[in-house]
Amino acid sequence: MPGSMMLPDLGAMPPLDGTRGDAAARWRQAGWPGPRVESWRFTKLDALTKMDLVPAANAAGEASETGVAEAASMGAHLIRFDNGLVDAACLAALPAGVTARDLADDEAAMSALADIAPQNHPVSDLSMAVMTSGLVLDVDGVVDTPLMLLFEGAGDDASTHPVVYVRLAAAARLQLAELHASTVALAAPLIGYDIGEGARLEQVKLQRESTTTTHLASTGVRLAEKASIAGFSLSVGGTLARLETHVTMAGEFADCQLSAIYMGRGSQHQDVTTYMDHAVPNCTSNQIIRGVLDDTARGVYQGKVHVAPDAQKTDGQQMARALLLSRKAEVDAKPELEIYADDVICAHGATVGELDATQLFYLTSRGIPEDIARAMLVEAFLVDTIEAIENETLAGLLRPVAESWLTAGGA
Amino acid sequence: MTALLEIRDLHASIGDKPILKGINLTINAGEVHAIMGPNGSGKSTMSYVLAGRDGYEVTGGDILMNGESMLEMEPDERSRAGMFLAFQYPVELPGVGGMSFLRAAVNARRKDAGEDEVDQLAFVKMVREKAKMLGVSDEMLKRAVNVGFSGGEKKRYEILQMALLEPTMAVLDETDSGLDVDALRIVSEGVNVLRDPARSMLVITHYQRLLNHIVPDFVHILADGRIRKSGGKELALEVEESGYAGIDDAA
Ligand SMILES: Nc1ncnc2c1ncn2[C@@H]1O[C@H](COP(=O)(O)OP(=O)(O)OP(=O)(O)O)[C@@H](O)[C@H]1O
Ligand SMILES: [Mg+2]
Repeated sequence: MPGSMMLPDLGAMPPLDGTRGDAAARWRQAGWPGPRVESWRFTKLDALTKMDLVPAANAAGEASETGVAEAASMGAHLIRFDNGLVDAACLAALPAGVTARDLADDEAAMSALADIAPQNHPVSDLSMAVMTSGLVLDVDGVVDTPLMLLFEGAGDDASTHPVVYVRLAAAARLQLAELHASTVALAAPLIGYDIGEGARLEQVKLQRESTTTTHLASTGVRLAEKASIAGFSLSVGGTLARLETHVTMAGEFADCQLSAIYMGRGSQHQDVTTYMDHAVPNCTSNQIIRGVLDDTARGVYQGKVHVAPDAQKTDGQQMARALLLSRKAEVDAKPELEIYADDVICAHGATVGELDATQLFYLTSRGIPEDIARAMLVEAFLVDTIEAIENETLAGLLRPVAESWLTAGGA
Repeated sequence: MTALLEIRDLHASIGDKPILKGINLTINAGEVHAIMGPNGSGKSTMSYVLAGRDGYEVTGGDILMNGESMLEMEPDERSRAGMFLAFQYPVELPGVGGMSFLRAAVNARRKDAGEDEVDQLAFVKMVREKAKMLGVSDEMLKRAVNVGFSGGEKKRYEILQMALLEPTMAVLDETDSGLDVDALRIVSEGVNVLRDPARSMLVITHYQRLLNHIVPDFVHILADGRIRKSGGKELALEVEESGYAGIDDAA
């Protein structure tokens, strides 16, 4: 391990055994991804690894008004994490059908989460080991009240490692929003969605960290037979953000709709990485990814669809498009299909483009100032993805953020 | 009296290729001028140069609107100053809702004039009224700009925009192409309603047919980047009968 890399101090922690012990051992062995690790080729953590990170041990303070207001406007039950520590008061009076327990006391749940989390992933392992707070949310039946997981916190050298394992029983239904809005150095949430037979999760994630925060999220999804997820991420914050999601289609006739928009300006780095594992036959997955990059921002999309040998009748689609608003913005796109079955419908694609000069001329020739015209065309580039979110309550959280991004920097 | 539009010895190139080679044209307030000319003679190029499109470089001469040079103005500024171009090939804008597009255009003008933004409901009502007159359906208004419109529908939509923006100088580039006989009449009526002593029009067309409806005060023949012949409305009839042969001799 190069001496220049600072590692969060795990030595100070009590010895771990079981699943977390294994994760800690893997982290000690591997450390931050080195320069030759393929999956981190486009996203370098150099700045982060030079920092003297300290896993947060104390709450930072009061809840921000915006997060609370956003939860209220959605009619959501708020579960707030402050510096990666769950606010226990939020676990009282949970909506009917939702129960909470401590993940640290539940080795079986921990092990199940480790199975669905991104594998061989240093940050996922680190968060599992450090786990500033661990929460299991069990969901049974149809829960009408949406849950909002709000992640806040502050601290120039603080790292946060909240771990949440959301388990939907057979036929359960849940709407859930993740809102990440901290000013810590590293926010590294590990979240697992384990979706039981015939259950459905509608989920959105809004990544709106401060522009000094590095956001490295590991998300694992497992879909049992006939289970479905409609997930959507909007990533606008952070100095560097990577949203890495691993999905396992574990039961037949499962359906996974996963879309994401990333938007970067200044020198932001936005990474969306997905791994879709079609392990069994007859499942469908569809990923729509849109990126908008201005100034010297960089975008990364890595998406792999893996179809196991007997996963016949798989329908796996992924389509990534990026729009570069400046000559100095860059994007690396790497869509991959790894198909070992023969009777499948799979398609993928990645395109990178600029705003269309003719369209821009048409708008300005109608008297619309160029900055507004550009914002209109960027919005047009994104609109079908946001409109595809069926859950209006959840979509309502994202729409104003995308709009204010467009009007803020003069796209 | 200052001319509403004065084009003085205008030379323009696309890339290194000279297309306009010395155009002189004076349009006074309230006049309707028609421009005819063979394919590739530079009619659309002239319309783009007037609107200020990027990549169309003016290499000589000047364009004056109400006595002021427009050459340094951006397309949006020219538009708000009263210039309007109905495109020969209107541009599709997938994802841009028609109503928000029209409202953005109207509001940009109003903002420039120091007026408040349009009232949403009143605006929708006004657009519907004007659209109805031009045979633009409510359903079309709800779609993305020009997306899935037929050729003729796109042309009507151009005139709808003109009706909403109320320009002082309207350039209509082959607004008649793609229109069936009834649509031609409807669109022409839409244009004629907008004829006004304070508003001038430059109508580019290949066919005398349009000029039966929108009767011009003057007709000019553009060939190889220059106006080769000018006359009254009877010149269009001449072209209709004998084509452009012999035009060069007249230059
Ligand atoms: N982007 C371009 N690059 C190079 N040459 C161009 C470009 N656009 C137009 N031209 C050329 O400029 C000339 C004039 O074209 P323009 O479109 O102005 O003709 P027009 O008179 O409008 O023809 P039409 O009657 O067919 O509409 C043509 O020779 C055309 O090929
Ligand atoms: Mg033309």
